[in-house]
Amino acid sequence: MQISTHELKSNIIESLKLQDITPEQIDDDAPLFGTGLGLDSIDALELVVMLEKDYGIVIKDIEEGRPAFRSVNTLAEFIAAKRPQ
Amino acid sequence: MSASGFGMEAVWRAVSSGSSGLKPLTLFQSPRYGQILTGEIQCDLIALGAPTRSSRSDKLGWLAAREAIAHAKINFQSGGERAGIVLGTSVGGSYDSEIFLSTLIKRGKMRARPTRFHECVTTVDLIADEFGLFGPSMALATACSSSALAIALAAEMILSGEADVMLTGGADSMSRMTWGGFHSLLLVDSAGCRPFDATRGGMSLGEGAAVLVLESEASAQRRGAKILARLSGWGASCDAYHATSPHPQGAGATAAMQSALRRAGLEPTAIDYVNAHGTGTRDNDVAEAIALKTVFHNRVPPFSSTKRIFGHALAASGAMEAVVCVEALRRQELPPNPGFSKCDPAIGLEPVIELRHAPLTHVMSNSFGFGGNNGVLIFSKPETSPQTRAPEKIQIAVGGIGVIGPGAVTIKEIGSPLPSGKGLVHSCGVLTDAAMLTPNQRRRLSRLQQMALITARQSHAPDPSQRVAVAIGTGLGCLEDAGTFIENLISKDEREPMPSRFPNSVHNSPTGQVAIDQAARGMNSAPTVGEITFESALWQGICQLATDEADCALVGAADEVDKYLLSIGQRWGAWNEKIKPGEGAVVVSLARAEKISSPLARVTIVRLGRYRKPFDAEREADWIASIIDLAAIDVVLSGAKGFLKLDAMYEAVAAALSKRAGRKLEHQTYKQQCGEFHAASAFGFSVAVNLVRQRRRGVLLYTLSQRGGKAICCVQP
Repeated sequence: MQISTHELKSNIIESLKLQDITPEQIDDDAPLFGTGLGLDSIDALELVVMLEKDYGIVIKDIEEGRPAFRSVNTLAEFIAAKRPQ
Repeated sequence: MSASGFGMEAVWRAVSSGSSGLKPLTLFQSPRYGQILTGEIQCDLIALGAPTRSSRSDKLGWLAAREAIAHAKINFQSGGERAGIVLGTSVGGSYDSEIFLSTLIKRGKMRARPTRFHECVTTVDLIADEFGLFGPSMALATACSSSALAIALAAEMILSGEADVMLTGGADSMSRMTWGGFHSLLLVDSAGCRPFDATRGGMSLGEGAAVLVLESEASAQRRGAKILARLSGWGASCDAYHATSPHPQGAGATAAMQSALRRAGLEPTAIDYVNAHGTGTRDNDVAEAIALKTVFHNRVPPFSSTKRIFGHALAASGAMEAVVCVEALRRQELPPNPGFSKCDPAIGLEPVIELRHAPLTHVMSNSFGFGGNNGVLIFSKPETSPQTRAPEKIQIAVGGIGVIGPGAVTIKEIGSPLPSGKGLVHSCGVLTDAAMLTPNQRRRLSRLQQMALITARQSHAPDPSQRVAVAIGTGLGCLEDAGTFIENLISKDEREPMPSRFPNSVHNSPTGQVAIDQAARGMNSAPTVGEITFESALWQGICQLATDEADCALVGAADEVDKYLLSIGQRWGAWNEKIKPGEGAVVVSLARAEKISSPLARVTIVRLGRYRKPFDAEREADWIASIIDLAAIDVVLSGAKGFLKLDAMYEAVAAALSKRAGRKLEHQTYKQQCGEFHAASAFGFSVAVNLVRQRRRGVLLYTLSQRGGKAICCVQP
């Protein structure tokens, strides 16, 4: 099931409390970590909480989520594949 | 005191057999993680003799102190002034305060009693009162390295002549906050920790306490003490890298180990065993292994982590592992590393697998904590004669001061969410200097961290050529973030935790952020000592300059108000027309006087201790007059605050000092300006510096804590 990347970006901004950033400013393919937004390992954990809260996906090992956190698109694909139907 | 038993004998039985004390949690309901293994102490602590009016951490610390005193066959009946205590605590009374929050959230009832022992320092105060210690008493909270730093500080206090004997170590209990917090960071191994193993999946939380009796050679000889071991070296550093992740190459860990070796005057080859921090998390164990290989030039001595035996008892772990090191030396045995079975290629080292006999002369103990905070201790056989230098007597100058809040404060009316209504607060309001913070600092740092960061920058421009130590104390830490984190945890039954708030809950989170901001890689500490928190930070910072471990020391104190503090204080009648709650931060940049061309003032004396009850003003005045030159002083600046009993104590001492000086010393106060909070004497210090600059005469800053601590600080032109 496809998920809206716009909605996903809004959820990311809300869960990470990103300031002065709109969903439009986040490139779907750009790396989320390491550059640009300046996110770190604790932000990754906030994304884990977001995945459970907004999409019902439980991650117990951060390594599981690591490939998904590469970009908005990889995260959207991960959610589409894992989301409980 | 550990999950694997109480008392040295029981603990060593567990260590030597490598048996794990981890069991499923019973202490409180954990809807989400209840079956996960933990190092909980499952017994009735009061039945063992612990005081009823105390927090769980207090009970653990108190029981360990009682055992240490009995074991050392020492009593403090006479000469309690020459005996002090420094403990590392991080969780403090959180476990008990969470009972208050839980009752409030789940049942809507406000029962504030369990919060009475919330502060980390209560453990120290209870022990000092019970066993008659009147020397310096301090608690410091640098997360999982707390008790290693505490033991090092106790040693410095003895070397500098402040005391002959120090009780030192640490105590931390299990709490919902740390339990939920480490789970929210996905750092807990559900099968129990397996340090250094290829398949390790994280840490196991534990609780416990360990106390050592540390004394000078002369004191031990005088009383014919049986010496178990010598503390021959210690080192502290900060990664200045990240709030929770260790530096990937273990740079800070390396620096701390090297500093400890330097202090002990030992080559790396002299170390026969290392008790590793070895939490079992992927990142710690790799970073620590890299650091070990660097320090020991790829010839790493036998090492092991004993975390699976006790669980990770956070602030207490450094002291518990120090005890393991002392006992290993005594028995000449290498403790094993339960949980290890397969070597991790990323680590490339194998710990000690089974207990074995080995000649041990010098052993090292590593403790690393949140905020990139590292503490390393070296213990040696009694027959060795380590060359530990005393801190030098040096002139200390103030290079700069940063102040937020009280000076420019507006008294604000703050609504309370609890039944007790509204209160007036000396609030810092919106941090107008927040513009100097980066967007990430603004979104992630608590108010308290932001205040510390801004005041540190006001006091000192980052200078990468300097070795900078940081000691910024706090009485209560980031109340708002800690409170919000626990509130959320309890009300949502551990669902949707707040991983970015949890790291802010440790008292050294402001200092850790200051370290990152200032690239300050020297010792990093957060004393938490009630009303004398600032003076304790001052002592510790100056010590780093006097031992030449730092070129600059950023010392200070910070506290914030939150809704619970206001409501509980109101319920207890702590606030009134004269005593209003306050908040704020002050950071002072210090260096050796010859290093600062135009200093604001000099700090000539800082001394800590405890007063006797009933309070005797003449005795206090004698103590002060024996330390400072009253002829150089015009003003006694006290922490009087409108509380009759305390104010009378200050007034009587000021009068007794005038009598000894043969002229009237002016008694001034500062809390009418800044309000009442633990860090307020830091604001008093800034007032003292201003007075000294105006009058070109000395000011005595005199502070009493309500639980028995006292401090004097002399500021002169």
